[in-house]
Amino acid sequence: MSNKTIIEVEDLTMAYSDQPVLWDNDVSIVENSKTAIIGPNGAGKSTFLKGILGLLPTLSGSAHFMGKAYKEVQAEIAYIPQSSEVNWDFPTTALDVVLMGRYVHLGWIKRPSQKDKKIAEQALAQIGMSEFKNRQISQLSGGQKQRVFIARAIAQDANIYIMDEPLAGVDKNTESIIMDFLNESQKQGKTSVVVHHDLNTLAEYFDHLVIINKRIVAQGKMTKVLTQENLENANMNGDYGLDVSV
Amino acid sequence: MYLFNLFTASKIIDIGSFQLAFLSLDMDILSSYVFMVVCAGTMILAAAAGAIGTISVLKGQSLIGDAIGHSAYPGVVIAFMIGMALDPLKLFIGAIISGAIAFALIQLISRHSKLNLDATLAIILSSFFGLGMVLKSYIQGHEAFAHVSQGGLKNYIFGQAAYIKNADVYLILAVAIPSILIFIIFYKEFKVFIFDETYAKSIGIKSNFMYALMLVITMGLIATGLKVVGAILISSFLIVPAITAMQWAQQFNRVILIASLTGMFSAFLGTYISSIYPGMSTGPSIILVMSLIAFLSMLIGPRGILAKYFRRRKFINDKSNV
Repeated sequence: MSNKTIIEVEDLTMAYSDQPVLWDNDVSIVENSKTAIIGPNGAGKSTFLKGILGLLPTLSGSAHFMGKAYKEVQAEIAYIPQSSEVNWDFPTTALDVVLMGRYVHLGWIKRPSQKDKKIAEQALAQIGMSEFKNRQISQLSGGQKQRVFIARAIAQDANIYIMDEPLAGVDKNTESIIMDFLNESQKQGKTSVVVHHDLNTLAEYFDHLVIINKRIVAQGKMTKVLTQENLENANMNGDYGLDVSV
Repeated sequence: MYLFNLFTASKIIDIGSFQLAFLSLDMDILSSYVFMVVCAGTMILAAAAGAIGTISVLKGQSLIGDAIGHSAYPGVVIAFMIGMALDPLKLFIGAIISGAIAFALIQLISRHSKLNLDATLAIILSSFFGLGMVLKSYIQGHEAFAHVSQGGLKNYIFGQAAYIKNADVYLILAVAIPSILIFIIFYKEFKVFIFDETYAKSIGIKSNFMYALMLVITMGLIATGLKVVGAILISSFLIVPAITAMQWAQQFNRVILIASLTGMFSAFLGTYISSIYPGMSTGPSIILVMSLIAFLSMLIGPRGILAKYFRRRKFINDKSNV
């Protein structure tokens, strides 16, 4: 793992109408790292991700990915929103959702080809969901839904994965499948940034950490940043091991 | 899956042929020129509205169509007042402008106030429609308008499909074809946008652009449909076939197809019923047929109420047997 920065966020400030959510956040994500983002409820973790991806308006600041603006490299970045933001009643199958990961490579009007379909099927196979490929998405369990999202990110064939609480409310099996995927991606030289909520597994699953509570409290290598003091500074009760952000 | 959908299709046709047999088709009516023009107009409109209505229904915004439909009415009256004539194209433009203003106001209010969307829709819908009614009664008694026939204005409230002329059919075609084309061109973008708007944004599909597209094609159809079914009922052309289709199909493209076909079929049967029973209006007859199909589908469709009930009972039985 190098110490090269792959995502550079400078001076990011965001607000919801008249409520400031994030102030002056400078964050550097190290290339090829598995970086977790933690913080108490309402700390602005999801907002931070959406801000750097240009999904929500920012008041000031900038984010660069591999030295470029997000729009220039959006195909290289796979974002997985919180599953609560998705319209699960939409009439579509698991395979269809995974195929959406190919859209960013297709451009306007063009339909997915047989090759895209093959890539999508392989992505489903990789996370053990092949047998569910024709299943209506509303009939999948929480863990299966999350795995379909991971498969969509795999199908996108990105270099950076940005995930908003992918492990929230999933079964143990899904959790280990997702972590296997992140570990495998790291071996392939990829970077992942994951909002995480479970302090128990934090140090085991990730190697870098960003603690956020409207401002950046601390960031860097897991071993250096995950301290009682930093958690207390972030208002995370300081009760080590307690799952405070849920 | 495939067999299942064949079953779906045959079921719909079954319902149809049952009704048709019951009425025993009157060939004289079917081959009459007036019937053919009216039927062509309503069927094309219903097919396009059925397909495009799936977007707003699946996006959870079906009532916006209803609000726009009502809000288009004052535009019709104002266009009439300016043009002093019942020119369908001018009234169509009036309807579009008025509907667009209403839509912009809805967006503005929901962005800057804490009011719920349904309350916003209610206030826009009633104030615009009220304005239309006031203007209409104003010109009825006004001497400046006494020399022009205003009878047609009433038709834009309740619709008067029986008076569809060739020019109206051309207007319907001129709106329906581009709308469907836009839907086909942006099919995959609409799909991600409806299913997962956040992800869609992250891959460069702009929400504002998609909402604008959705508005343009929806509003065009609403404005054209005003004369056929009227401001009050036009939104059902968009909403009801989509509801039917969602009870049968599990994939977006099939939902669109079924919605479009049931819309078209309802238009045909409704027009036919209103032709053989004098005094029955065409628009409402179409909507009654549409709604009947929707209710039946909600009951017996594979994603309907009965199917859900039996699945649940089976689940409980299986559990208690273990």
